Amino acid sequence: MSGLTKFKKMIICFLICSNCLLLSGCWDRVELNDLALVTGLGIDKKGKNTMLTVQLVVPKQLGGGMAMGGSNTKGGGATIIRTGTGAVMADAIRDLQEKIPRRLFWGHVKAVVFSEKVAKEGIRPYIDFLSRNPQMRLRSNMFICKGSAKNVLELSPPIEQSSAEVMRELSELQFLFRVTVKDALQMLAGSTQTAAIPLVQILPAQKGMSDLQTIAFIQRTAIFKKDRMIGSVNDKMSRGLLWIRNEVEQANITVSLKGAKGTITAAIIKMHTKLIPEYKNGKWKMIVKITSEDDVISNATNLSLYNKKHIHLAQKALADETANRIYAALHKVQKMKADVVGFGEAFHRKYPRQWNQVKDRWEDIFPNVEVTIKAKVNFRRPGMNTIPQGIPPEEVKK
Amino acid sequence: MRFFKKSRNGVTGNHQNGTTRNNEQELYIAQQNAQPYVLSFNLEENIETLQSVYENCVDVVFRSFQVAGTTNAVLVYIDGLVNVEELDLVVLPSLMRPLSSITDFDIHQLLSQTLTVSKVSKTQLMSECIESISSGKAVLLINRYNHAFSLGVGKWEKRSIDEPVGEAGIKGPREGFIESLGTNLALVRRKVKSPNLKTKAIKIGTYTQTEVVVCYIEGLAHPALIQEVEERLHRIKIDGILDVGYIEELIEDNPYSPFPQMLNTERPDVVAASLLEGRFAILQDGTPFALVAPISFYSLLQSHEDYYERSLISTVIRWVRYLFLLISLFLPSLYVALLTFHQEMVPTTLLLTMAASRELIPFPALVEALMMEVVFEALREAGVRLPKQAGAAVSIVGALVIGQAAVQAGIVSAPMIMVVSLTGIASFTVPRYATGIAIRMLRFPMILLAGSLGLLGVMLGLLLILIHMATLRSFGVPYLSPMAPMQGQDMKDVLVRAPLWKLNTRPQLPGIDNLTRQGSDQKPSPENKDQ
Repeated sequence: MSGLTKFKKMIICFLICSNCLLLSGCWDRVELNDLALVTGLGIDKKGKNTMLTVQLVVPKQLGGGMAMGGSNTKGGGATIIRTGTGAVMADAIRDLQEKIPRRLFWGHVKAVVFSEKVAKEGIRPYIDFLSRNPQMRLRSNMFICKGSAKNVLELSPPIEQSSAEVMRELSELQFLFRVTVKDALQMLAGSTQTAAIPLVQILPAQKGMSDLQTIAFIQRTAIFKKDRMIGSVNDKMSRGLLWIRNEVEQANITVSLKGAKGTITAAIIKMHTKLIPEYKNGKWKMIVKITSEDDVISNATNLSLYNKKHIHLAQKALADETANRIYAALHKVQKMKADVVGFGEAFHRKYPRQWNQVKDRWEDIFPNVEVTIKAKVNFRRPGMNTIPQGIPPEEVKK
Repeated sequence: MRFFKKSRNGVTGNHQNGTTRNNEQELYIAQQNAQPYVLSFNLEENIETLQSVYENCVDVVFRSFQVAGTTNAVLVYIDGLVNVEELDLVVLPSLMRPLSSITDFDIHQLLSQTLTVSKVSKTQLMSECIESISSGKAVLLINRYNHAFSLGVGKWEKRSIDEPVGEAGIKGPREGFIESLGTNLALVRRKVKSPNLKTKAIKIGTYTQTEVVVCYIEGLAHPALIQEVEERLHRIKIDGILDVGYIEELIEDNPYSPFPQMLNTERPDVVAASLLEGRFAILQDGTPFALVAPISFYSLLQSHEDYYERSLISTVIRWVRYLFLLISLFLPSLYVALLTFHQEMVPTTLLLTMAASRELIPFPALVEALMMEVVFEALREAGVRLPKQAGAAVSIVGALVIGQAAVQAGIVSAPMIMVVSLTGIASFTVPRYATGIAIRMLRFPMILLAGSLGLLGVMLGLLLILIHMATLRSFGVPYLSPMAPMQGQDMKDVLVRAPLWKLNTRPQLPGIDNLTRQGSDQKPSPENKDQ
């Protein structure tokens, strides 16, 4: 008898427990077939309204599980775009959802693209929304584009699956700036409230291909001050900025040497930048110390790199060239009064008291910061050849 | 022995309660004990009793003859269980040869001079006679003498020693147990020759009277442990046992657990190794399987070959096994959880591939997974049960219909087929079949949990399983030991398989002090060859 009661008790206990699970009322189970996977998000302005463009992946055109299908090689039609408009982003999303039979899924957004117009008006409301939404990834890459963001997302690239994926891959290469939503948020909330975000532009389509069969590539860097874009710098300048920010991953530098014809090109293997701020008698000074390790990837001079003297010469020339590039980039941003190189942060760290006095007028001080660049280049490997190739050995200067 | 104790109780019980007993088993015992159980001096009477016991048994042979040409005697045996040739050529001629001096016919003389059989025992009890006859002995009854001799001339058809089917291996001994207890014991004895190897026999089963032997090594196995197992065996009241599976179910610690708490093996070397670790083994007549206990979960994940292969390789293989154990338990549930709850956790390209393959599938992932897992179980079961000729048909149909046609027809997605087949293969990497089945069985609730609560459900299931395993005991040994409770010393044979020259101590089983297994400093190297 008692055994039966125990059994009954157990059943009742189990029923109560399983009911508790249902009490919360939320069940976020969604079948994959009911999701519209968003890979790219574009933000435009349409009059006063916000226009959102989403790039969706259409899974059935990808091929995959359709053994019967056969015609999977449809010209890059794997993605489609839809737009929605609304007073604010949330409204636009609602408008968008009305036109899409599946639930929008934001977990796989690769690229968030703002049009230049939106960027100039201020991106704060948008990135606030992006950072608040639990589905949205803070690690999606962020871009500014010339023209409309819709046009950028509309492209169907010949190589990658979607134009968003192209932009992500391009910024992964880190030739130029690579900024995620999280980075942007941090930069805008930092001491100097400035940000640098890559600017993309549509590459003209190859001859014979339709206008859409192309990609958007990162060409310039948009400079932001207090969530508004104030201008942009070109790719060379951008790289100069990356040097100061210690973010260079890949770069080639070509120099010509005094007393020799031709050029030497070196690729950076490893580099390190150190900002040494100095504050003396009301003067703000910054020493930028750069050390880099390079490989020689091309030597079109007649100098043999077996000779120590020649190596020193080349290293010196490379260091000077690096410094020159950085100076140029720095002058540009100093003119823009936008401290995207992190000087403010460095001063803030070393001289917090003095910084606090000037932090409100830092944009006026920044252009006048005296910058000294100390660049040092070390050759590590001369490549597969030590002597210049393609000329008779007699002409090589040893 | 047990049987007789019970018989006597039966007799008294019968007298006391009369016809109120309706239990069939008790009735049988009562009937049996209605016979006088002490042999009488009258041969006729004894034979009559035996004939009434063996009424309607055509295979029981009563052979009457005269011992030394003077005294009447009867030899009773069961045809097919004894070596008739030996009876004809050795026993009967020697008994029937006339004695030189007929006058002082002495039973002891008979024994010592004429009975040319090595295994002879004397009894006064009728019940013991019956037992001897049933277990393949020839019983000799002599007139005017109230003792019977049971002659060990038993010989019956048995399988030859074969490679164990369920525990094949590349290295190591190839012999496996067979259905004969005597042979099996001999196989173990040939591995462990010390007289400390003890074998205690118990008869279980009212009808089957199956002989069950507990083996252990004195000095290594704790006496309390042996006492405990004997007590548990004595507690069994059943009409018959046909396999050690019966015993396992009747003496295990937690009958509701999906996990086996004893190790089933058909390898004498596994039994010998376990005995050497201070465990005991239960062998039973009529089955090629032996039970080994106490064990922990990790012993179920170890294969005999781990110790025959070199340690580095064994360690790697062991880790592969651990990995696939996890896969066989979690892969389908993780797949379902990721697909229906955590789409953001899957890399985009992988998700797109899965989405594309699932696009036309009419079922939710949960249903798909359950369906395929059930089908896999059906295929496995059919494969085990079917005769060899039909087996090929099943595998072809299984591979074609389930594998390809289902995907082509768009009923099941290709990744799901992969998940299910990988899980199936993974579950077979567990060296013990019973453990593999336990894991496979637990997969279903895991899938349901994953399909209803996502990763949270998977974690919930994992915790429940772990809690259950932590509470399990196998004859007092915690199931998860030496991991929980932690026994650092024994880790050398769990996470890795340390080299043999490092395995200096036995596993710590409760109550064992004599842990040293071998001398230390046995690491081989060219330097200490002359030591």
